[in-house]
Amino acid sequence: MEQFNFDRRSLIRGAALGAAGALSPGLASSFSLPLQKGRKTKRVVLVAFAGGVRTRETFGTPDNIPNMRQLADEGVLYTNVATANLGHFGATMSIFTGVSEPRGIRENARGQEPTLFEYLRKGLAMPKEDIWVTTTGGAQQVNYSYSLHPEYGAKYGANILDGEGIFNTEFKQLLDTWGMPESMGDKEKALLDQLRKGVGGGSDAVREAERLARVEEYILKELTQGTSDITGTAAGDRKALRLARNLLSLFRPKVVGVVLQNADVAHGSYNAYSEVVRQNDAAIGELVMAIREDEDLAESTAVIVMPEFGRDRDLNSRRGLDHGDGSPDLRRVTCLAWGPDFKRGVEIDSEQRTTDVVGTVCELFGTTAPLARGGRLTGLYS
Amino acid sequence: MENSRVHAEPFHIAVSGAQQSSSQDSRSAQDPSTKAKPARALAHGSLRTTFMDLVGRPPYESEYERWLGLGRDKLLDALLGSEEFWGHWWSEQLYYFLLVDNFQPIARATKEIPDKLAGGRMDYRTALHRIALTSSFDQRNPGSDTFVTVVMEQFCGLVVQKNRRDLESGKRAYDGGKGNFLGTIVNNQAEVIEVCVNHSKASKHFLVREYQRLMHAPGDKKALANQARRLHRDPWKYLATARDWLLSEEYSQRLERLEPKSNSLFLNGLFVDLLDRLPKEEELDPMRTALDALADPRPLRSVVVRLLLDSGRVRIPEKDTITDPTRWIGEKFQRLLGREATGEELRVFVGIFHQPDCRTATILYALLSHPEYQNY
Repeated sequence: MEQFNFDRRSLIRGAALGAAGALSPGLASSFSLPLQKGRKTKRVVLVAFAGGVRTRETFGTPDNIPNMRQLADEGVLYTNVATANLGHFGATMSIFTGVSEPRGIRENARGQEPTLFEYLRKGLAMPKEDIWVTTTGGAQQVNYSYSLHPEYGAKYGANILDGEGIFNTEFKQLLDTWGMPESMGDKEKALLDQLRKGVGGGSDAVREAERLARVEEYILKELTQGTSDITGTAAGDRKALRLARNLLSLFRPKVVGVVLQNADVAHGSYNAYSEVVRQNDAAIGELVMAIREDEDLAESTAVIVMPEFGRDRDLNSRRGLDHGDGSPDLRRVTCLAWGPDFKRGVEIDSEQRTTDVVGTVCELFGTTAPLARGGRLTGLYS
Repeated sequence: MENSRVHAEPFHIAVSGAQQSSSQDSRSAQDPSTKAKPARALAHGSLRTTFMDLVGRPPYESEYERWLGLGRDKLLDALLGSEEFWGHWWSEQLYYFLLVDNFQPIARATKEIPDKLAGGRMDYRTALHRIALTSSFDQRNPGSDTFVTVVMEQFCGLVVQKNRRDLESGKRAYDGGKGNFLGTIVNNQAEVIEVCVNHSKASKHFLVREYQRLMHAPGDKKALANQARRLHRDPWKYLATARDWLLSEEYSQRLERLEPKSNSLFLNGLFVDLLDRLPKEEELDPMRTALDALADPRPLRSVVVRLLLDSGRVRIPEKDTITDPTRWIGEKFQRLLGREATGEELRVFVGIFHQPDCRTATILYALLSHPEYQNY
């Protein structure tokens, strides 16, 4: 059985074709000038360090987070960011919508408020290829892709990949057992396009199929490149960060969102939680290293790391940490912003809010988030 | 708190008997002496959709032969309340509570619940109560704040931010204290669950989400509130209520429109359509988890389609064994898309069928990866 022939070179070639407008008019914009006149930032990596992470174990214990500490020294550290305890799903959603609305903890449904991704795609006519989100929390988190708002919604949604879900070991084993799909010859592909066009007379189906085929190839490639093999502490989070790194290097989208979740092991074990913080810092370090080592990315990429809320002040009876005591440890977190247009080595202790991220990123790209209720992170620009 | 009420006959049979008089249209379908076309006669599309709504899969090959042309009420008699119906219901409930993958309950007593439901030895409310009592549910929702919040939200549909006092009381009880929770004094975690499961709001919340699940529409609030009151008094009324919905004009309208397939439904459907069997647990779970990992699962659905078609496990006829391509293609449209192919579609497909580079698998792949197959 012939294996998929798909490598970095072909991806880059695909992207280059895109830049020339051959694949999609939107792809060309990925390689355009900075989005805001006078600014260097072309792309943003937004890490929602979710799962409940206190400042005590991050910037309060610098040995746990050498990589983020270094980024803070080169960027802006907001030490007093107000959060709302809306459960992981709702609180993380509020980072992406700029609206603090209660959401069920296990509610597996989309929100009513448009997301950052929808504002960017609609406001700047960004193609879907320009916005990717990688997650680790399973089915529920794909709801971050887009809202049910009638003026926004699916057509402005982000691509979302849940690393832990798609790259689960059992699925990889199944692919190994059943065998990878055979590649299709050009003539057969052309016939397939005609057949698709022939059902219900839809040429839209063909155009959509071309876009989906590229994603299909990317997934197949990732499946064979070891992402499924990441195991152990914070494996889900590390997969999400690794995917973000690969997506950034290969597709060079304008926005890469990353949603972490594994810190929530804290309910049962403080030590396991601390280890997740350390592992995630290391994975963020690898992501930033990939940015630094790529000249174009290094000069044009901003990174924002924002927890959705903290955790309780005191240990529970299992020597773990819950989230529900209303303490400052729970309600105040620390946010990090690093990028070519941001101040360097500045700490800001005036109150900010997790919901300020949407307005900040929109402003950075030169658009607005009309329905978001947060403001913008203050004192950010150099 | 298992309900000890035992029905003398399988519950779905009892319900069907009780409901026969509710549908005058069903008589012609049940009376062998009449040759009149039964009311709500099942065609390919409506048969597929009703099967998928009720048991989470399209019909097997033999079931098409058995049910095509018969009345919908007859099909409901057979499916509603059957072991397969409750098996599907159970997996949908576990999914609702996000008890999937590592959080799936695996105890034997829990796995026997669909059988008990089908045998009339347990009502739906007791089954939901059992879910909340599993260690999986506890592990999925660790800590007092998360646990009590989830129980209030998912069973009663409450917004905890508007019910702070109850949340705090529930949390106290979870930790072994005492509290007034939703109007009842509770002392421990089990009592918190019991109060929620048996609360009138839980009956209403359950019915609202079941209506949405089966009818793919929000439903009339007043009618649902009345039905919820009846259900709260007697949880055994669930199947009779569902039957009324499925024989209603609203469901007939639902059969006229396409609704998106969930990932489970897509996978179950694909396996049945290609292999005439359901996926095994070890096939379904990792595939569904992978599909759930994408906001837009279509690229991966296509991978799975190709995986099956290229696996050598699907019986795909060689082109030269198909003596009547028009008929073969027409049957594939009926079977996979639940409708007749139009004349133009047949013309295009048959034309391409005769091209040397077109395999029979190419035809199947075009249909199975088409947006229309993503719906039902």
